[in-house]
Amino acid sequence: MKSKAFFLSLIILGTSACSSIVLQPADYSWPIENVLKVDDFGFVSETRYTFKINVKNLYTEEFKDSTAFMGKELRIIRDAKGYYYATGNNFKNVYVLMTQENGMKIENIIPVSQAGLKSPVMNQKNSSIELIDNGLKTNFTNKGIEGK
Amino acid sequence: MSFTILKNTLILVLFLGFVSVINAQSDYEKTQSFKNKYASLEQKIKDAKSLEEVDALVIDITSFKTDFIANKPLLDKTLYPDNFTSAIEKLENAVELRKGDFTQIVDLQTEVGTLKTALTELNDQNTSLLGQIKDLQFSQKKDQSTINSLNRLVASLKANIKERDELVKGIVDSLLQEFTTSPSSLNEAEKTAIFKKVETGNLFYNVERTIGDNIQFMKVTTLTADDLSDMKEQYKEFSKTWRQIGPKLSQIYLDQANRARQIAGIDDLFRQWNFRINNEIWSSINQAFREKNITLMNFKNGDDFTESVTTFIDDEVKNLGVKRAEESKETFYTFTDSVWFQQVKPNWVPILLENNLLSEAQKDSIESRFVQWKEKVDPGGFTSYWLYIAVVLAVIILALIAIMVIRRNKKTEPKIVSQEND
Repeated sequence: MKSKAFFLSLIILGTSACSSIVLQPADYSWPIENVLKVDDFGFVSETRYTFKINVKNLYTEEFKDSTAFMGKELRIIRDAKGYYYATGNNFKNVYVLMTQENGMKIENIIPVSQAGLKSPVMNQKNSSIELIDNGLKTNFTNKGIEGK
Repeated sequence: MSFTILKNTLILVLFLGFVSVINAQSDYEKTQSFKNKYASLEQKIKDAKSLEEVDALVIDITSFKTDFIANKPLLDKTLYPDNFTSAIEKLENAVELRKGDFTQIVDLQTEVGTLKTALTELNDQNTSLLGQIKDLQFSQKKDQSTINSLNRLVASLKANIKERDELVKGIVDSLLQEFTTSPSSLNEAEKTAIFKKVETGNLFYNVERTIGDNIQFMKVTTLTADDLSDMKEQYKEFSKTWRQIGPKLSQIYLDQANRARQIAGIDDLFRQWNFRINNEIWSSINQAFREKNITLMNFKNGDDFTESVTTFIDDEVKNLGVKRAEESKETFYTFTDSVWFQQVKPNWVPILLENNLLSEAQKDSIESRFVQWKEKVDPGGFTSYWLYIAVVLAVIILALIAIMVIRRNKKTEPKIVSQEND
């Protein structure tokens, strides 16, 4: 009886140990943002980091218009933690995204301009992402604008 | 006072703000700017038309490197799979390679320049030799020394023409190597190099001269079968190369009407040269018959030649009985033995067959006519040989029988003597 209990506890310990293995630290950051053209079906595809994703819902969310994606460019950058930041011309927000099975989930929406961004660019900084629009810089992480 | 300080501070703040806006640049844009300038430099290297242009590009690359060195850490990450250093190295290597191309072109130009001088000298010498040969041919003086000088001049001219032809062919061959790709895919620099080579080598003039002199040479001299065979071979090689290069040069000189005309003129000259060689071959064959008082209808190709020979044989057969039999036989043996089998067949038929001027079938057709002709002209000619052999054999057999009879008689004589003694 004692030996059975011993083996059972070993199995439980072993299983719990396997499920908690985490590979750390990791750096997912892209050195620069990518400017991706949205195709007629709402997809953007990235060749260096090789992914393809449909962004129609992002444009619908931003512009409340299901056809707003057409002919647009989406700027995407990824930080060290693995969060993606997406924005573009006339966007009022920066979208923080995280991969999930077969897609990306919006983790946070960071409001950055009430009038809409004119010509935004994003740069990778040490611990944050820098957004520049019309000479104005804003730094943020996945949690929101820094210093706010 | 305090107002002035306030004003200066405001200006400073505004200036710093402006500088900050200026410096606020996208890393993406910086990378794109580097890539665009890089691509532009790469294209300029490819399109450079001279060594000077390439040298200027070396300075541009140095300045490009200096402009972007501050962004090296960023570019090292973003130029995947390259980095800043390897990208610059690629440009520097490309510029060095392009320099090599132009150095080679300069070397080739020097080589072509040397050839040009040699060609000019040979062209001048040939003109002078052709003139001297013509003078001697028209001269009333036909003594041995004149004939010897004429032969010497012809030999010099022949050697000179051959040497000059080789030089011109060398230029054409080297051009052909440049045309390994289609002219439409040649870039401007490659086209310029070809223009320079063509113009520096005075190619069109020299090709015209080569063909012209060969035609003139045929006019002023009597050529043997070997000479004409060599010349035909030379024509074939040269015209094959020209057929490859001519259309490509036409494409390159598409917008220069005079050059296009000159190229078409050269095509025509090649046709004349070939026609002249063929003519000379047929004339020499006709001459071989004429020298033996056999007159054939004029012929300038294999069909005419076959027809001419056939007609001659038919006429001879028809004239049997009109002419004396001995005369007909003499014509037959002269035609076949002295001309056809002794001169035409060994010397000229191989050239005719090799150059498709006469087909095997035509040759066989002519020779089969000889058999029919012989049967008519000298029907006993063949059987008489057997008769002679039979007679000789009969004589030998009779002689053997006689010897045997004599020996037998000699053996029986002593036997009778011995019986008498007993």
